[in-house]
Amino acid sequence: MMVQRQREQAETHLLRAAQEFQKCMQCGKCRSVCPVFKEIGNELYVARGKNKLAEKIVSGDLQITSRVKDAINECLNCKTCSANCPAGVSPEHVVLRLRWYITTREGLGLFKALVFRQLLWRKWPIIAGAVFIGFVQRILLDIGPQNPVRHLFPLFGFSKRRNFPRLALRPAQSLYPEVIPSKKGTPVKRIGYFTGCAGNLIYTNVVKSVVDILTGYGYDVVIPKDQKCSGTPVLANGDYEGAANLMEHNFNLFRRYDLDAIVVSCSSCGLALKKEIKLFIDNCDELREFCDKIYDINEFLEKEVQFGPNDLGRLPYRVTYHDPCHLNRGQDVRKEPRSLLMKIPGLIFKEMQDAAVCCGSAGSYCLTHYETAIQINNHKIKNIQKEYVEYVATACPTCIMHIQDNLLQHHSGEKARFVVEILADSLRKAGTI
Amino acid sequence: MKKSHLEELSTIFENDGILHQQEDMIAYSYDASHIEKTPEAVVFATSTDQICKLMQFAYREDIPVTPRGQGSGLSGGSVPIEKGIVLVLDRMRKMLDFDPENRLITVEAGMTTSDIDPIVASADLFYPPDPGSVTFSTIGGNIAENAGGLRGLKYGVTKDYVKMLKVVLPKGDIVTIGSKCVKHVAGFNLEPIFVGSEGLLGIITEVTLALLPIPKHRESALVVFNTLNDAAQCVSDIIAYGVTPSTMEFMDKTTINAVQNFKDCNLPRDAEAVLLIETDGEKNSAIGEMKNIKKAAEKNSFRSFSLAGNTKERDLLFEGRRIALNALANVKPNLILEDATVVRSKLPDMVRGICEIATKYNLMVGIFGHAGDGNLHPTFLIDKNDTDEMKRTEKAVKELFRLAIDLEGTISGEHGIGLEKKPFLEDQIGSAGIQLLCDIKRTFDPKNLLNPGKMFDFPNSTSN
Ligand SMILES: Cc1cc2nc3c(=O)[nH]c(=O)nc-3n(C[C@H](O)[C@H](O)[C@H](O)COP(=O)(O)OP(=O)(O)OC[C@H]3O[C@@H](n4cnc5c(N)ncnc54)[C@H](O)[C@@H]3O)c2cc1C
Ligand code: SF4
Ligand code: SF4
Repeated sequence: MMVQRQREQAETHLLRAAQEFQKCMQCGKCRSVCPVFKEIGNELYVARGKNKLAEKIVSGDLQITSRVKDAINECLNCKTCSANCPAGVSPEHVVLRLRWYITTREGLGLFKALVFRQLLWRKWPIIAGAVFIGFVQRILLDIGPQNPVRHLFPLFGFSKRRNFPRLALRPAQSLYPEVIPSKKGTPVKRIGYFTGCAGNLIYTNVVKSVVDILTGYGYDVVIPKDQKCSGTPVLANGDYEGAANLMEHNFNLFRRYDLDAIVVSCSSCGLALKKEIKLFIDNCDELREFCDKIYDINEFLEKEVQFGPNDLGRLPYRVTYHDPCHLNRGQDVRKEPRSLLMKIPGLIFKEMQDAAVCCGSAGSYCLTHYETAIQINNHKIKNIQKEYVEYVATACPTCIMHIQDNLLQHHSGEKARFVVEILADSLRKAGTI
Repeated sequence: MKKSHLEELSTIFENDGILHQQEDMIAYSYDASHIEKTPEAVVFATSTDQICKLMQFAYREDIPVTPRGQGSGLSGGSVPIEKGIVLVLDRMRKMLDFDPENRLITVEAGMTTSDIDPIVASADLFYPPDPGSVTFSTIGGNIAENAGGLRGLKYGVTKDYVKMLKVVLPKGDIVTIGSKCVKHVAGFNLEPIFVGSEGLLGIITEVTLALLPIPKHRESALVVFNTLNDAAQCVSDIIAYGVTPSTMEFMDKTTINAVQNFKDCNLPRDAEAVLLIETDGEKNSAIGEMKNIKKAAEKNSFRSFSLAGNTKERDLLFEGRRIALNALANVKPNLILEDATVVRSKLPDMVRGICEIATKYNLMVGIFGHAGDGNLHPTFLIDKNDTDEMKRTEKAVKELFRLAIDLEGTISGEHGIGLEKKPFLEDQIGSAGIQLLCDIKRTFDPKNLLNPGKMFDFPNSTSN
């Protein structure tokens, strides 16, 4: 039996979903933009269809069947529907509310409960696991990203066709003291850094790049040791309460350090801290102040840092850029990463076709729905290949993971990198940082 | 639906070409109107041949079939009101032949209308009809509804561009009608009977469309008025002046403010109405026409007349019109959009009448639309949960149609009759008119199995 509080919470999710889908005019415009619908071609999977499902669930005409779950899990949270919806509906929020509704009623299931409520909270088992895997990847089977670790994936319901990036031998956070002083004497500002799990455990070079650039330009960087998952994967997987715990934790934690700004190098974590957190914590001055301090790293660098004429070293690459959904539509940051890249001497920036179309990664979606995720990504790869570039830059770890995987499947080599990594390369080349 | 029926359907359509689970039926139970009904099966056609087999099967087994494009229709046309099978055509989206020399393109009916333009633009051609739904409606749906658009005034509507059609008739026969020739009189002039047939007479699978050269130059202007009447009168005067703008769009104060609240498009909030006018063609003639428009406007005490200086300004102007419906949708929880249409000279009467009706029933109404062709979209802004308001809206809508008919107009300019306007059709065309429609329908579809229950009540049909 569900306890009273849970039942109320579930009802609230339905109510919120209803507030959203009621605005839908059923025009069908989302049919022309939804990447999932484009591949599957069934109205059930388009935003309008999901709105209709929600309506039927709320009115009691439809039960939560496995097909309903299937339909609401087929959503990338890419927000393309919202960005194009004439009526201002956010269908991905309807989807999230339904996911929350279902897990509140039915429970999380053992695997998700273990990961979202235990491992992400305690952190050390994940770190230990990651380091162990990283060790195995390197020492025993060092054959690059196409390593056989993927053969373990089907155990968790994931596809083993996926290439997985190498995990770090040492978490990035353990490489630094909590406060990393400016390399330029008296600090200009004190900047908090939310590294995100991917930065901490996989893409440690990104953390290094961010720290080097910021300290090199005179900022103190604070990486609170006790930061935990931003909550994005947790909320996307239907665990409202788990996400709320994490959001509250990070909110309280970062406020304890007297910070001028907080930078984030993962587009989804950035969105979570800047906006999604408002769904979990009641509106108050402290929250507004916190959210106003959050910057995507590209946004921060472009706004704050003056790169002098001789600061940047020459990098003779052709580079294109993929817009992560959670940066572009989620945070309205699209000019900044491009502008940073274009500052680099020698670098030729090539805008690719449909740069802002979702790459199909969507966090764990590309693990659980690998086939569709790859179909969606195939368009991306085609567009990248058309530009004959050395690198495709982006600003989101799961985009990198997914695009890189598919580039390898298409024999296109290791090409996906973060904008800040390339920028740091250029600054290092000139000896600036 | 019986198991044997589903089995037979799956021999015609491949595995991913058929759906019958409850959830999928819900997903195919509606379009952009306010009516819904779940079908018993949904099939996705990829060839004319499959549709032919489907109709032979449906006719043998007495199963209703409802064709569907993208389900963007505003009159309930693709809602399977008698249940049965929904036949989805949006996977038939191939370009079959592009013939720039004869300015023709042949496509499958499920192609999205706006997909035509990039193909033909390479030869400096364009397909003029541009309904607000171009990016998501199918060309087959446009033909079935005889869709119009912003350029209707100068360039006409879908019916003016249909040259040839391949159609599967209700009993499964395949016919190709029309001709690629500019002139042709071989047999009855049959193409128009399928244009606007709302999926009742046959299923359009392929279509050859006429194209036009892209106009060399465009002039765009925004004319601001202090009274609604002046704006409406100005439209009549411009036409009377002998000018044919390519676009002449109208927005009233409610719409203007809804737009400005939604997105700043530089529209004057305190104006009672604006007209958005465009002329196109050779540079000199477009400029000359615009000068004449200004003269006509001067007779109607406009407040300001501003020409868009560059593409950016023009885009901003049109953006306002393009998002009008969206903006209105944000004012209240729901809206009811109508497309009552009158001849242009009656436009002032129509606008006045709509305002009177709204006042009488204490309703909020936004009026915008293709003023140049007399096609207005009075949009009632309502809250469906407010039962009293809903009752008043029903009465107002009824009166609105009466008004259009009294002004010798029509109850639908472009969205069709379908289910939404079925109760009002007889008022316009009379009982003999309905009888004629029934007789035609019976000739094509004696068992009334293709999209039954729409437009009019077929004698002996089980529909309400
Ligand atoms: C936001 C918005 C703006 C709109 N703006 C305009 C506008 O400016 N002008 C305008 O005219 N309309 C407009 N519409 C209405 C609608 O988009 C058009 O009627 C369009 O032509 C419908 O196309 P569809 O593919 O969605 O057809 P559907 O809605 O799926 O079907 C419409 C009708 O056509 C029949 N049908 C569909 N395909 C075929 C076929 N291949 N063979 C036979 N019958 C078929 C169906 O049975 C149904 O009766 C608008 C709608 C929306 C939601
Ligand atoms: S575009 Fe928006 S209003 Fe239109 S059907 Fe999709 S969700 Fe509904
Ligand atoms: S968020 Fe993306 S995937 Fe989800 S319904 Fe909207 S457009 Fe489709």
